[in-house]
Amino acid sequence: MLVAHLSPLAASLFSLIAIASLLLAFVMLGSRWLRHYLYAFALESWLIAALSAAVGYYGQYPELYLIAVLTAVFRGCLLPYLLLRIVRRLNVARELHVVVQASSSLVIGAFAVVFALVVATHIGDTLGLGGTVVVLALTVMLSMKLIGFLMLTVRHEAISQILGLLVLENGIFLGSQILVPGMPLLLEIVILFDLLIIVACFGLLVQYLISHVGTTSSLKLRRLVG
Amino acid sequence: MTRDILLQIAQVLAVLLLAPLLQGIILQFEERVQRAQGPGIFQPYRDLRKLFHKQIVLPETASWLFWIAPVVAFTAMMTVPILIPVLTNFPLPLSDMGDILGGGLILTLGGFMITLAGLDSGSAYGGIGSSRAVMLAILAEPTLILVFVGITLLAKAMLPFVVNHLLVAQPAVYWSPAHLFLVAAFFVLLLVETDRLPIHSSTHVEVYMIEEGRILEYAGPLLALLRWASMMKQFILYTIFCNVLLLPWALSIEGTAIGALGAAAALMFKFTLVGCAVVVVETTQSRLRFYRYQEPLAASFLLAVLAIIGTQLS
Repeated sequence: MLVAHLSPLAASLFSLIAIASLLLAFVMLGSRWLRHYLYAFALESWLIAALSAAVGYYGQYPELYLIAVLTAVFRGCLLPYLLLRIVRRLNVARELHVVVQASSSLVIGAFAVVFALVVATHIGDTLGLGGTVVVLALTVMLSMKLIGFLMLTVRHEAISQILGLLVLENGIFLGSQILVPGMPLLLEIVILFDLLIIVACFGLLVQYLISHVGTTSSLKLRRLVG
Repeated sequence: MTRDILLQIAQVLAVLLLAPLLQGIILQFEERVQRAQGPGIFQPYRDLRKLFHKQIVLPETASWLFWIAPVVAFTAMMTVPILIPVLTNFPLPLSDMGDILGGGLILTLGGFMITLAGLDSGSAYGGIGSSRAVMLAILAEPTLILVFVGITLLAKAMLPFVVNHLLVAQPAVYWSPAHLFLVAAFFVLLLVETDRLPIHSSTHVEVYMIEEGRILEYAGPLLALLRWASMMKQFILYTIFCNVLLLPWALSIEGTAIGALGAAAALMFKFTLVGCAVVVVETTQSRLRFYRYQEPLAASFLLAVLAIIGTQLS
């Protein structure tokens, strides 16, 4: 396993990137403007691309450079651009009705991180890797997943829900980059195209919602249609 | 030994005498950023002198608490510099009286007395100011404790001197995410505790005032003491931020007179840097409304939690 034998500098670089992307997930959780979510998501994707390149450099996996470029192009540019187009078409600049206030969701997110840390420490100790960057990677991965779930739960706008899904996915990708580098290249490309299809389908769904229901907020979707 | 005692007195004197200068520098910079002339960096000294020459006017409803609060607040602010590295990077004779938590306790005691005094006179503004201040304290205190816990986990000690030595000796710790997040979390607390935007308003006497509301009934020398105490509190928090967390360098190592003087000069330089960051925040941020006070503090709480997560790595 690569991460068990890292130089201190590489370990601190990895941990800095991982924690910075966790912080960006919190920026998405705490802000209420849809545009800010998008910027934070794009930046997070760029950080993950940088992480891929760094893992490729320190672990001698040349194919990770390609994955880094693909991540930056697809997740960092194309997906945010497509979502930005949808946001412009929607005329919704922010979440109007929030279930949980931004600050409360930040605190809930902080507890999610603590929970993730406890779980990750247990896993790390079981594997005999306690106290290394593995624990941190697991923590960041689990907590980004939990934050993605949280965003899916407490937000109503369709666009923030898809972003929640993308954050969740980013978390898994980030964890896999650190924990199991050298995953087959094909798998990564398949995941990227999956994401593209998700966003395209979502664009169609938004069009449908606007034309038939007149809103994209899940608060208004109350009637069951068989 | 005598030299150490003299140094300790010098630490307290430095806080006492330089605190108005720090306030003056920040206010003057703000005026300059807003393209105004500004009264100069020595204006707080002139204000204090003017207030000390006025007579004391007491509200009829005030009790002994009203008298005692400024004195206790002022004394508390003169006690804290004994515990923290202001000029020297080694502990002085009385520095082991208390750790970081002890310093925090004494700082809070001063604030508590002012809150009581605000309630004491029975005026509406004093009550509102006290209630707002207490609400802010409720929001800020958990974060402060978490920051202390983070520092403790980072340095495996609660003494500010140990943290200072560790950060100077090990650049890896200085650049670790845990430390950087602690700095960010403490910066938010610094803005909240020193009456700056985005929570406190920049104009003083208005309906939304918090700190000013508590001391609205005071006049003359007692008001001067309170003002001076709040400037010293600002100076102390900046000292902890710079000398313990952000810029732990340029302190007197041997304890000579020249070294102490140089440390004082370096301290003002560091504070000017931090003050510039504060001025940027004050210029770019607008004031938050009452029900959004928790947002910056929740962010700070979060940063502290992330820092604690980061300390689990090494």
